[in-house]
Amino acid sequence: MDFSFLDKYAGFLVTGTLNTILLSGSTVILGLIGGTVLSLMKLSKVKVLEKCANVYIAFIRGTPLLVQLYLVYYSVREMPMYLAGILAMTINSSAYIAEIIRAGIEAVDKGQFEAAKALSLNQVQTYRLIILPQALKNILPALGNEFIVLIKESAIVSVIGLHDLMYKVDTIRGLTYKPFEPLIVAAAIYFVLTYSLSKGVGHMERRLKTSD
Amino acid sequence: MISLRNINKYFDDLHVLKDVSLDIKHCETVAIIGPSGSGKSTLLRCINELETCSGDIYYKMKHKRDYDTYDYRSKFGMVFQQFNLFPHKTVLENVNLAPSLHQRKTIGANLLNQVGLTDKMDIYPKKLSGGQKQRVAIARALAMDPEVMLFDEPTSALDPEMVGEVLEVIKSLNHMTRIIVTHEMGFAKEIADRIVFMDEGKIVEINHPRELMANPKHERTKQFLSKVL
Repeated sequence: MDFSFLDKYAGFLVTGTLNTILLSGSTVILGLIGGTVLSLMKLSKVKVLEKCANVYIAFIRGTPLLVQLYLVYYSVREMPMYLAGILAMTINSSAYIAEIIRAGIEAVDKGQFEAAKALSLNQVQTYRLIILPQALKNILPALGNEFIVLIKESAIVSVIGLHDLMYKVDTIRGLTYKPFEPLIVAAAIYFVLTYSLSKGVGHMERRLKTSD
Repeated sequence: MISLRNINKYFDDLHVLKDVSLDIKHCETVAIIGPSGSGKSTLLRCINELETCSGDIYYKMKHKRDYDTYDYRSKFGMVFQQFNLFPHKTVLENVNLAPSLHQRKTIGANLLNQVGLTDKMDIYPKKLSGGQKQRVAIARALAMDPEVMLFDEPTSALDPEMVGEVLEVIKSLNHMTRIIVTHEMGFAKEIADRIVFMDEGKIVEINHPRELMANPKHERTKQFLSKVL
């Protein structure tokens, strides 16, 4: 095993890692927003909204991320890579996150909705102050899991040439004629990212448990 | 003050309220009693719109539909059998949630003082006993500054030894209009100006507590009272 390429290409790996973090980070935030909206649509009494959300979720969950990525990338001429990457990942993850959030909302006791209503809170206040905080606590482990999957799957954006960690590692493999060692480094970096995330989620879970 | 006219409610095919009409006066305390499934809780929940019912409800001579929904609901404080406190908020935060509160901190603290829970202000509901939870729930409902208090079997989920403290608090609200669905016959007799006996979605009999308990007019009322008294 020869890791001497690290001296020369460490800069590559740093840029790639930062891009991967940036891509996954924006997707987490946008996916959470998209997922919340979709889950509320799904629970909505307006049938059209519910149908739209169902079709969207079924389609996204039923097609490969790779296909979705290409579809987004080639949908418009001269689509910027980064936009395509973030958009495709967000479109994909919000469908999964929506299902997680919906399950979390449905697990909140019906009496909580009634108490909020009796206190004359409106819909928005009810969800913001009462329901979503409790739902979030229920779903945090599942959500953390989804974010870990998201970081790992982000490697796929390298196929459209986005300079994420995987792309950089592939570049190093080509330049150094070493097909194996750079992959070990990639695996190690991805592991550090996902492991710190799961530690962070664990920490948040403990903090949210203060009311128990 | 509140007039219910021909209230009907169906749960799918089940006709749970059959043409119920009832008038409640200002500052009056009305206890609703009756067997399980008689529709008494549903009737209470129709008043503050937790259930949608057909029929007319007038509040202070004005039809319910002529009020702003949120304004209308805020006139009724509701206390549930299962407390329904918000578990992720402290006791004081629970009480302070009512949107109509302006000088938040002081009013919330005063209300908790009124129900005797000043020392529990900053803890989470999970750490409270059932009786304490229900007292917080009462303070929370009062924080809305309602004109009417609705109690839906407020002591049914409590250990027997906790019942007293909650009933004391309910009793102390004697300046308000109160509607209480209850199984506590002794309490109903003591506190109510009138008792409404319901069965199978209908009001069978309304009378002053002593009168109703001593001389029930209907066969069904007699039957019920002989079992619970």
